[in-house]
Amino acid sequence: MPESPNPRKVYVSHPGSGLARSNFPLECHVEDGEIVRSLPFHIPDDVRLYEIETTDRGSYSRPRKEVQMPLALAAKQRVHANTRVKYPLLRDGWSPESPNGAGRGSDSFTPISWDKALDIIVSQLGRIREKYGSMEPVLVQADGHGQSGYLQSLHFWGHYLFDMLREHKGWGWWTQQVRNPDSWEGYYWGAKHVWGFDDSLGEPMQDAVWDDVLEHAEMVIFSGCDAEATGFGMSGGIALEMPKWLKKAGIKIVSISPDLNHASAVHADTWIPIKPNTDAALYLAVAHVWLAEGTYDKDYIDTHTVGFEALEAHVRGDDDGIEKSPAWGEKVTGIPAATIKALAREWAAKKTTLSVYFGGPKIRGTLSHLAARMEAYVLAMQGVGSPGRQFLRIGAPSFYKKNIAQVPRYPDVDFHGLAFSPMIEYAIGRGPKSPVFIPRSLAAEAIQQRKISWKSTTAALAKAEDQFTSYQYPPSEDHPGIRMVWNENGSQPGSWGHGWNWLEALRSDDLDFVVGVHPWLENDLTFSDLILPAQTNYEHEDLVVVQRSDVLGLFYQEAAVEPVGESKSDYEIHRMIGQRLGLDDAFPPVDDWLKASYEETLAATRDDISWDEFKDRKYVIYDCPTWKEWVDIKKEFGYSEHTGGLHWFWDKADGLETPSGKIEFVSERISKLDPDSEERPPLAKWIAHAELGDSAKAKSYPLIVMSNHPKYRFHVQGDDIEWIRELGKIKGVDGYYYEPCWMHPEDAAARGIEHGDIIMVHNDRGAILFAALVTERIIPGALSIDHGAKIDFGLLDNRKIDRGGCINLIAPTVQEKYEKGAEIEVPEMNISGFLVDAEKIDPLRIEPGAGVNFETVTGGNQTGDAA
Amino acid sequence: MSNKNFLIDVDKCTGCNLCVVACKDEHVDSNYEPWTQPQPEGGHFWMNVKPLERGTIPRVRMNFLPTLCQHCEDAPCIPACPEGAIKTRDDGLVWIDAALCTGCGDCQPACPYDVIYKNDNLNIAQKCTGCAHRIDEGELPRCADACPHDAIVFGELGDESSLEELHPEFDAKPRVRWKGLPQPWITGLLIDVNADEVVIGATVTATDLNDGTIITTTSGAFGEFWIKDLAAGHDYRVEISHPTYELSSAPVTADGDTDLGTLELKASP
Repeated sequence: MPESPNPRKVYVSHPGSGLARSNFPLECHVEDGEIVRSLPFHIPDDVRLYEIETTDRGSYSRPRKEVQMPLALAAKQRVHANTRVKYPLLRDGWSPESPNGAGRGSDSFTPISWDKALDIIVSQLGRIREKYGSMEPVLVQADGHGQSGYLQSLHFWGHYLFDMLREHKGWGWWTQQVRNPDSWEGYYWGAKHVWGFDDSLGEPMQDAVWDDVLEHAEMVIFSGCDAEATGFGMSGGIALEMPKWLKKAGIKIVSISPDLNHASAVHADTWIPIKPNTDAALYLAVAHVWLAEGTYDKDYIDTHTVGFEALEAHVRGDDDGIEKSPAWGEKVTGIPAATIKALAREWAAKKTTLSVYFGGPKIRGTLSHLAARMEAYVLAMQGVGSPGRQFLRIGAPSFYKKNIAQVPRYPDVDFHGLAFSPMIEYAIGRGPKSPVFIPRSLAAEAIQQRKISWKSTTAALAKAEDQFTSYQYPPSEDHPGIRMVWNENGSQPGSWGHGWNWLEALRSDDLDFVVGVHPWLENDLTFSDLILPAQTNYEHEDLVVVQRSDVLGLFYQEAAVEPVGESKSDYEIHRMIGQRLGLDDAFPPVDDWLKASYEETLAATRDDISWDEFKDRKYVIYDCPTWKEWVDIKKEFGYSEHTGGLHWFWDKADGLETPSGKIEFVSERISKLDPDSEERPPLAKWIAHAELGDSAKAKSYPLIVMSNHPKYRFHVQGDDIEWIRELGKIKGVDGYYYEPCWMHPEDAAARGIEHGDIIMVHNDRGAILFAALVTERIIPGALSIDHGAKIDFGLLDNRKIDRGGCINLIAPTVQEKYEKGAEIEVPEMNISGFLVDAEKIDPLRIEPGAGVNFETVTGGNQTGDAA
Repeated sequence: MSNKNFLIDVDKCTGCNLCVVACKDEHVDSNYEPWTQPQPEGGHFWMNVKPLERGTIPRVRMNFLPTLCQHCEDAPCIPACPEGAIKTRDDGLVWIDAALCTGCGDCQPACPYDVIYKNDNLNIAQKCTGCAHRIDEGELPRCADACPHDAIVFGELGDESSLEELHPEFDAKPRVRWKGLPQPWITGLLIDVNADEVVIGATVTATDLNDGTIITTTSGAFGEFWIKDLAAGHDYRVEISHPTYELSSAPVTADGDTDLGTLELKASP
């Protein structure tokens, strides 16, 4: 690294982004090879920011200062974390002849050289090919969910490597893991059948929606919306700014959620606590009031929708004998009937927009597709798309747009300003490239069971019809199934369902070889046979593609620090393997790839900034249009000055991606393709199920867990940083930092639990330890536990427990709603809304460390050439 | 004496804790002598965002108090130090001279704001320096630089007469200025139990029995009322009036937030 001014200023991709795109990068100051501080980036004065203008509510812009989330400032602490994988690590109990699967997760590792690691990989791939004739027995799990640069720290290279082996070497297909719509299950599996929007996972497109909301809306419902959770991770500081716009515009905020979440606790005017996963019942009771009082948009129902009579009949109870009155709603949701009526009247009287952020408790539970459809129904009853009545995705300044962005931007900048990695298609695509694939939510079952069958590819951008196509794994009777796993996730047990079962699956002797590629020895990575040491974003050059923010740009990232140990970037790791297998041309040098990507962008093609000049000046940030320019741009796409969002549909009453082109209360597609579905009938209904508080199971497990994105972690990242633990955890009497579990004082008192006590939350799937956070911010009967805590197995009275607080370990599987062997009709992921009980335990009885001992295995005191 | 100062605006703070991590990012592993030596990896909160959960379900709100050294004019820590290690800069920032500090810890209990920490590795006491090293370079303190909401501001505050002090009763003449420090509220939900409806538009008045001040609000669309910014410790009489309901009243002492719960109004005869 050349010596340069002290401190050297380096722009580093935001660790809380992903999928080849970033927020504004960290501005890191490097002195003597160490990162001494990370500062907010200030957008220079010569970049024009946007102003959203309104008639009489003022104008709205963003600050020039772009703040970073706490995790981003703290991420430098992960570079030298004691869990860092410094050298290729080989599991001691593994040999090519005897994989000894049961030792995964508990065996120790030995550092080996890169040469030996590559030898092993090449020979294992060779074995697979020789024995089975193709790469199909290799499950490639490479679809992100961690830190991600544009090229170097991208997590999709596994798919690319195997795709290139197929294309250039004729090695056949591989088993592609397909990423399900993890934050947006309910909209994907449900709302798509009401209003379409395949390209935005079932949520309405967000074109210029703020222009409409800030001009017209009088009330915004935060439906589990928490922009302060993972807030500035996925969307940058603008996610924190947007709720303030609502306040400034004088718009009332009503928060409907089991918890008073972080954003609502400071921004909401009213909180309506609701029992987890009963939103569908609330919407039905609200519809009941509107029907009784005639306060819905009847003309809109006539012109813009089909099948409304069926909803009316269901609300009356014609079909199931249950009138969905506010009194009934109170019984199911826990919201007083008087409050339901007040909400319904206010919603009808005021121009009301409904708002969500990432995830939220409503949308990732059992049958959340019904709640999402019901939500679309009630929005339709109030004429969604009319001025001020929109579906608002807070913090989606750059995605979910059809023609123009959520905030004023030039369309050519949106579509040609940035470098777009073709690798994204492997993860967030319209479907798997390989005809041999498995949904991510079914990866464990694919290993454990000889045959599973399900509907839908689960690909994020798949067409709605795909949800009615049947698939199976293995694809044929004589297929060997999965024999090898290529894991670039590291997030499976902490962010997906029943993580415990995934870890069990990894211990299968059917798996000859498990490869992990990751910077840290953590979570399911400890269940690998060979771990390849990947780098953090701080250790290599890359492009930073600022696409997750409201203002777009490109940065050149230099290496901030020397690589740790013998770690390589994700790209270099796959390149080295590719070169061993004769794929040199598929993996050009880093600078060539970055240069070629850059040269496609407007910075090069329009603004004539050469690659070398760009590297020299370090960034290009695109201007936003003036309001006048923006209004002209909007005109081209049919919007007037103060309209946006679904206004076009309100205008046209046609053009949705549903078969009828209208909002469908009764789905024509479901009526045709799956008319008898009890789980997802043509008309969404209230359907009670096993994970609700009045089910038979609730007798043993009377509490229901809701789980949202964490505030300080980013999914599974961050728990190993002391600064993040100090903020997000509760220190137990034993000195251990426990994950908090929110619990109402009533539930705590009933169990003799006090604030700060260590508790065991358990169900038939396992037992996890937490510290009780006794609070008025959660509805009685529910617990709120964020996903993604770092796993740390131990024993409590000889029972295996996770002391780390990873709640997803005991979330349901996609399969368990169905009889084993039966086709999985709606493979929705349920990680928020499942039954448990909680009891106080004595932390001094915990025997820690029933698993890999991190301190001894990362090669900390050993040299890299031990092999 | 510099005319730049900290202003903490409680109403703007969302509790994101960026300031806390920014402070650690600046000070852990970095030495800014003479103002301070490196902060230890964990355990120190020179900036400490103290959460304050208020109310009972469903009328709950969070306030956060981003608490740093108040850089007091009459700082009780200064005379408490037997070594004379705690000093005040010309610009008013109070700092602990590590060269003189013996780590005796006498300053810790002396500080009524509880902002002094012991560094066991270096055997010294440490606290917020106001980022003296940055201010001297014309930069903002890291907490203010990191704050997304201007809840922590550092600069020329102009007329400070309308601004508050944190715990003036400590008599330490704190220099840091505050806005929006939480004052007690009275809240409740009005219900017509016969109709099973919330009562909207009722006039709710709180009369301060100590000084006669009257605060008036109305119940909103969800039947809830919030009377905010009461004088702490004062006694109030709350009256609820509505044309169609009987007058209802309740005595309240504002020694904290009070939720009168669900109040069932009776229709006037």
